[in-house]
Amino acid sequence: MDPFVDLSVRFGIPLVLLVVAYFTGTTLERRHYASIRERELRWRSIPAITFRSIPPGWRATECALVTGSVVISVDYFKRFLSGLRMIFGGRVKAYETLLDRARREALLRLKEGAVERGYHAVVNVRLETCRIANSRNSESVAGLEVLAFGTGVKLLNIP
Amino acid sequence: VKFDPSLPEDGINVSRAHPLREALLLVGGVVAVAAAVAVAVAVVADLAAPHIPIELEARLFSGWFDRGVEDDEAATPREQSLARLLNRMAGHWPESPYGFEIAIWDEPEANAVALPGGVIAVTNGLLESVESENELAFVLGHELGHFHNRDHLRGLGRGIAFSLLLVAVGVGGGGSAVQLASLAGQFAQRDFSRDQEIEADRFGLALLAAEYGHVSGAGAFFEHLPEPDGALKSGLASYFSTHPVNADRIQALRAAAGEMGWALRGERQPLPSWQLPR
Repeated sequence: MDPFVDLSVRFGIPLVLLVVAYFTGTTLERRHYASIRERELRWRSIPAITFRSIPPGWRATECALVTGSVVISVDYFKRFLSGLRMIFGGRVKAYETLLDRARREALLRLKEGAVERGYHAVVNVRLETCRIANSRNSESVAGLEVLAFGTGVKLLNIP
Repeated sequence: VKFDPSLPEDGINVSRAHPLREALLLVGGVVAVAAAVAVAVAVVADLAAPHIPIELEARLFSGWFDRGVEDDEAATPREQSLARLLNRMAGHWPESPYGFEIAIWDEPEANAVALPGGVIAVTNGLLESVESENELAFVLGHELGHFHNRDHLRGLGRGIAFSLLLVAVGVGGGGSAVQLASLAGQFAQRDFSRDQEIEADRFGLALLAAEYGHVSGAGAFFEHLPEPDGALKSGLASYFSTHPVNADRIQALRAAAGEMGWALRGERQPLPSWQLPR
């Protein structure tokens, strides 16, 4: 192949992907954070707590398992940054926002699911994270899932 | 137990840093490290290369380049005839410790390089540009001169470092080893000083005179020089870009020929039959 074409294919395509991923990634992240903050404010009065049992003084009448989960993808730009981080070490800042969004989104969905079923609070809340690997290359991460689950309770007295 | 409905502080789990700043910092770091490694390799190799014993050189680099035309039954007539010409030229340097081999690189740019281990590589572009056997013989003689003066090892460190760097950034992944070696060799060659070129010319000239009884081809070769205004007179432009020719060099050739009493004119041999007229 003509070396110029070869070079531009080898470096041009990833570069274009990087630029595209940077803009789509940051836009989506900004929008997601706006949505998260707005919903956190809306649902802040619904307790989602890590008590293993119903706290003393709460009078529960009904309970069931409630879950909320989110699958979120790593964009090309974040993957590029984390790849470089793997050389030098240090905080993978690009992934911090990704995981932060995923955890908060999962908790919000947990609350939204609980409210939809008429529960007033969720106790014994736990978070699980797992990465979803690409089938083509098990080393690269396609995305990650965060699952929030707990026991939704109906209460006689709203604390 | 009372529930506190206030929101936790936003962004406690997130480092505030602009992603582009992060990218710039990391890419800069990688580039700096790669450059430092390349420079270190280049400096060490450049210092060490001229001190490598010839036997070790041949052993180290024997697998690196296309070679073995003479004992390769699949060699084309072109390769065989080129190898025979090289042997004839090398025959006038009987004390040579190298077992010279020829390699033909399929590249349109005219060039010839002396590679470690005694391999002389010429490109198809060069073979198509020369007009007589004498010109070709002079080019081979010139490259033999680089071996004689061990010039071919001097720029090698930089060549190796450069090609390693290319492999590291992934350019080498698709390119063949030959292309890489070619690149390394050309890189090395580009650094030859004017004096090194003149010395190699003198050596090539001596071999030419011993072979043909005159040095006519050498002069003819320089007739292909690019025009001073930059217009390229022949496909040999790329050869001259890595083997810069200036008035000094031609003057030195003339002087050497005069000094030794070598005839500047003489009958030039036609190229072997593989070279079809253009």
